[in-house]
Amino acid sequence: MSGVWIYSENAAIAAQLVAPARELAGSGHSVCAVVLDQQAAEGLLTYDLHTIYKLAGDASWPESYATGIAGLADKEKPDIVLIGGTLRGKDLAAKVAAKLGAGLVSDAFAVRRSGDGIETDRLMYGGLAVCTEVTLPTALVTIPPHCFEAPATAPALAPKIMEVQVQTDGSIQVGAVCPIERQGADISCADKIVSIGRGIARQADVELARQLAEALGAELGCTRGIAEDYHWLPVERYIGLSGQKVKPSLYLSLGISGQVQHVAGIRDSKIIVAVDKNEDAPIFAAADYGIVGDLYEVAPLLAQAITNAKAK
Amino acid sequence: MLNIIVCYKWVLDEQEIRVNAGSMTLDTGRAAYKISDYDRNAVEEAVLLAERYGASVCGLTYGGDPVKQSLKDALSRGLDSVYWVHDPSAATADAFVTANILAAAIRKIGKYDLILCGEGASDTYAQQVAPRLAALVDIPGLTFVSKLAVEDNKAVATRKLGDCTEVCTVPFPAVVSVLPEINQPRIPSLKQVLGAAKKPMIEWRASDLELSSAEITPKVRVASLKGYAMSRKNMIFKEEAAASVTKLVASLAKEGVL
Repeated sequence: MSGVWIYSENAAIAAQLVAPARELAGSGHSVCAVVLDQQAAEGLLTYDLHTIYKLAGDASWPESYATGIAGLADKEKPDIVLIGGTLRGKDLAAKVAAKLGAGLVSDAFAVRRSGDGIETDRLMYGGLAVCTEVTLPTALVTIPPHCFEAPATAPALAPKIMEVQVQTDGSIQVGAVCPIERQGADISCADKIVSIGRGIARQADVELARQLAEALGAELGCTRGIAEDYHWLPVERYIGLSGQKVKPSLYLSLGISGQVQHVAGIRDSKIIVAVDKNEDAPIFAAADYGIVGDLYEVAPLLAQAITNAKAK
Repeated sequence: MLNIIVCYKWVLDEQEIRVNAGSMTLDTGRAAYKISDYDRNAVEEAVLLAERYGASVCGLTYGGDPVKQSLKDALSRGLDSVYWVHDPSAATADAFVTANILAAAIRKIGKYDLILCGEGASDTYAQQVAPRLAALVDIPGLTFVSKLAVEDNKAVATRKLGDCTEVCTVPFPAVVSVLPEINQPRIPSLKQVLGAAKKPMIEWRASDLELSSAEITPKVRVASLKGYAMSRKNMIFKEEAAASVTKLVASLAKEGVL
């Protein structure tokens, strides 16, 4: 049966795929979900899906279900498969697409019907451009987490759960799974961020940014260079296309030139402020407010002025 | 001795692409090409593994005429040889086509224990080729690897997945895509640059790879490519520091973000 499928190994993200899947299905098609366990199936029972395919296999590693999902899709022939764009999801999606010989659009932030297929929008060139693409069925799409909101539950018609026995890929041995210990808060959820780039000359000077962050009540972030080349802040703190994507109410950059990949990570910020001595730095085009000046002079003054303003 | 194939893409430097105001079309006229940033980490990792365990490392790339310039660049970074699938189909290739071409080239090369890729291309950043290659060549594939070692003819890889890390062990042959944090690519020395010209460069056409026309017909077609407009207030203060700071703080207070 043709229709729209959703899959994510993360239950909350799977629910976020329901809204775009319904939109794509319209009145003529059904929405089905693929899940890997009973708990995930139950998490989706409250949405008006047609069928929930529960894959039964002997592996706990989600990526090892690529062959199973591809086999099921080959038999049931969905037109469109939406996959939650976590890193595990992207890995699995590409393996499923290869096995099906299908097209896959990565990280689409918009997806709509177009003729017999779909049209999608995604970023190119590190966030400089938007690429609109057309894919014919079977079309796979990964969608970034939190791109859509999970719809209100609609328990009118409970979907049926169908258990499917599948082969899993056992060639990869997975051991030692460790949660990543974060120092301080997760900056992807921070309300305010002070972020540093190569305009900071020495590691000791990170303190300037830290004091400004403290005055603002902000978390400290940085560019890829600061985390990966200099190791002045942990890798989890670097913001950009391949790092963290942030959406604070206030993003304040110190000594960041504004390479496109970095700007791609901050574009959902409400207010962007840039401080840099180079008037032509691209960061100013991406900023709501900016100061052209020496950050070593500006940052302490700014920290003091913010403390004063807050005290009023 | 290990045989390593490292894949790279020759891309336009996105920092040099301009967006034409008004039409929002892209001006790539002044943009130079480069080895995709993330692929430099893959090349470096291949060379580091060769230094540590002994390996023969060959590069593999797919693209049109401009790719010719890339061969010496790639070789100067420590590769022993490079294969170029030189084909005009690359201009409209999607990940489906690219992976089909690279997989066919890998089969034709024949000798491989490890296939290394970057985490994604710096132009499309679709992150599909490594996992697709694993599925097509029918060998294990590990993505987002931040640490890689070889033990008893197996790859031991630490994957980094947002909220956790996991250590995976796979028998060779395997495909591994590496994260930028895995290493710091070195700048080629003058001796390496001069030596690059003497290393083998092998050029193939798509027709040398015995692929059907369906396998080199893209599934995803680009309908339009436009500059991304970010509408911001762009109020930039250029006065003496204290005056600029006063104005900025007043603006931020008005925005209600202090």
